[in-house]
Amino acid sequence: MNKPNTKKHILIVNQSPPYSSSNAKESLDIALAAGTFEQAVSVLFTGDACYQLLPNQAPEAINSKNLCQMLKALPIYGIDELLVDEQSLASRNVTHLDKSLTIRKISQHEVQELYRNSTAVFRF
Amino acid sequence: MVFSILVLGAPFSSQSAYSAFRFTQAALASGQSIYRVFFYQDGIHNSSDLATPPQDEYNLYQAWQNLKEQHSLDFVTCIAAAARRGLLDANEAKRHNKENSNMATQFDLSGLGQLVEATAISDQVITFGQ
Repeated sequence: MNKPNTKKHILIVNQSPPYSSSNAKESLDIALAAGTFEQAVSVLFTGDACYQLLPNQAPEAINSKNLCQMLKALPIYGIDELLVDEQSLASRNVTHLDKSLTIRKISQHEVQELYRNSTAVFRF
Repeated sequence: MVFSILVLGAPFSSQSAYSAFRFTQAALASGQSIYRVFFYQDGIHNSSDLATPPQDEYNLYQAWQNLKEQHSLDFVTCIAAAARRGLLDANEAKRHNKENSNMATQFDLSGLGQLVEATAISDQVITFGQ
């Protein structure tokens, strides 16, 4: 398949917690594919998806892969914009995120801005 | 307007797949163009060839297949999402050493790159969630 000539700004919005469904994993797969096809990709974590960013996850105990480790691979695929909604963090009292993730906390206003500047949005 | 459709829900589990079908049908009827319909997550179940709903119920599986043939649409089912959930075409069944396959021939198995390409080319991608 040829790489498309047109480039879009794809926003991937995560709102699901990490291991209660396959949403987190299958959303990440879209991000990786979009990165491979050299599209501009932003990944936003909001609502319960904040829990995807917690340090010291041990999903081996439930025979799952460590999603947080996989998120760390995103920059290799050219996806540098990882964002988290600070209000979602605050309302869940999530104060510590995995230190090895490069992620920016953004306000509700910036979330709106992000939606406005995106040409396609996928929510999981 | 060029649309692509992303279907994430399985028939019967939610209204998502039926709504996606009706949207696709309505878009075509009003002269819009559909670049691709991409089936992902539980949406892959729409491409089953074995599902046989009772005769007095609407057969969404058959409806997708008919729509595809009437309009020569491009239906792509995500290969990774499908393999995980036990939906294989004849080639994949052979590759995984399975005796049977269960995917309707109106759908093509391919990767997420097809969704990304459809997103780049279409004016709008409409998602029908789980």
